[in-house]
Amino acid sequence: MKIKAFVLFLAALAPAQAFAANNVALDNSVFVERVSTDAAGKERVLLEEPKVVVPGDKLVFVLNYRNAGSQPADKFVVTNPMPSAVRFAGAGNAGTLVSIDGGKAWGTLETLTVIQPDGTRRAAQPADVTHIRWAFQKPIPAGGTGKLMFRGVVK
Amino acid sequence: MVKAPVGGAKHHKLLLPSSTALALVIALTLPSQAHAAGTRAGTTISNTATASFDNGSGTTTVDSNRVDLRVDELLDVTVASGNPSDVPTTPGATNQVLTYSVTNTGNGQEAFRLSTIANVGGDNYDPVVTQIYIDNGDGVFDASTDTLYTAGTNDPVLNPDQSVRVFVIATTPGTVTDGNRGIVTLVAAAKTGTGTPGTVFAGQGEGGGDAIVGSTGADGQDNGAFRVSAATVTLVKSASIVDPFGGSEPVPGATITYTITATVAGSGSVSGLAITDNVPADTAYVAGSITLGGSGLTDAVDADAGDYNGTRIRVGLGTVAGGQTRTVTFRTRIN
Repeated sequence: MKIKAFVLFLAALAPAQAFAANNVALDNSVFVERVSTDAAGKERVLLEEPKVVVPGDKLVFVLNYRNAGSQPADKFVVTNPMPSAVRFAGAGNAGTLVSIDGGKAWGTLETLTVIQPDGTRRAAQPADVTHIRWAFQKPIPAGGTGKLMFRGVVK
Repeated sequence: MVKAPVGGAKHHKLLLPSSTALALVIALTLPSQAHAAGTRAGTTISNTATASFDNGSGTTTVDSNRVDLRVDELLDVTVASGNPSDVPTTPGATNQVLTYSVTNTGNGQEAFRLSTIANVGGDNYDPVVTQIYIDNGDGVFDASTDTLYTAGTNDPVLNPDQSVRVFVIATTPGTVTDGNRGIVTLVAAAKTGTGTPGTVFAGQGEGGGDAIVGSTGADGQDNGAFRVSAATVTLVKSASIVDPFGGSEPVPGATITYTITATVAGSGSVSGLAITDNVPADTAYVAGSITLGGSGLTDAVDADAGDYNGTRIRVGLGTVAGGQTRTVTFRTRIN
């Protein structure tokens, strides 16, 4: 079953600002791929919403967003730090930006390199990813929704 | 770089304060460790995403809900023989040692029960296992410093990725012969339980979660083997006579040359091998006549291998490997 999304109530640090409403909601769900074999011997992949996982489990992270406000949301950027116990295993949206240095530099995975102890550089691997980001060039119109996803494996 | 949203709308409940809201950045410091064996059992994996946007009144940031997943314990173990090749033994030998290592390849602390199988087949004899010892960390078996293992009493408790060295002590039956091979299997099994991968032991995992049998079945085993390396010694003695008249008659004054050939057979070797021979009555030893492999030896007890003490000759051969021969000669004169 789907867990109902909720948005954190946030401390009002500047109560005088009357019109800066949080009008975009982000709903985060994590699924695990369970492979089962049916009576005919066919493998079926089921997506379950787990409470518990074990190392090696394949996870699918899904982020649903919705602009519930009356104004378009411009410069829309969604950032998801990788949980440290999860190894990135690809994004479901081409062109997804990743960071391999804790969120300082961003790029698609194939454009990033890692400096090795001997000073040489190697291509970044999925295991190097520390953050994932989607940066939208067009505003999300009022009422607009969408879904972002990426995969990971429990280390 | 920007992608159009994928997928359709979802039901969302928006709980937004109408007036003011500022982003709250939640720093989650979670006790998770990355091991080769995997994330430690009991770790919580938390995921939160953040969105920022500008709706005309400056940049606003919102966090998603947080999803927490608990990591359960995988039960996995491997056993590996620590002997790169068969361990040589001899018939009847006691306290023969095979070495193994047991590694917890699961992600939680686990105790492992050890057992041995000596009648596995595929060999020539069954070593008689007498004890199992847990190494004290130096990698060398020493009954006085290593710990005698008693199943169920001091089962080794290993953290993820931790290994322990185990010594299996065995006696070689006296009936074995050269070249015989005897296999001993060491088995380590997770105390929580074993079974087909995926078997769940509810609530028995580290950190209060479940314990789940991993790909190893939560037990592991490996074989170590002894190979009997025995050797036998055969002595052949012959004599040839040269008489003073150019013939070969055993008359007084004739010289007898004794040749003793020691032949060592088998895959092993014999150590401390020595040839002694009494000088026969009515003959006199010819001084300085001992030879070994054609080279002369002195009669004194000294650096060379031979000596004569007035009644017998002796040649020490030391350790001789199977397949080799040693030839000793000496001469006497008939009185």
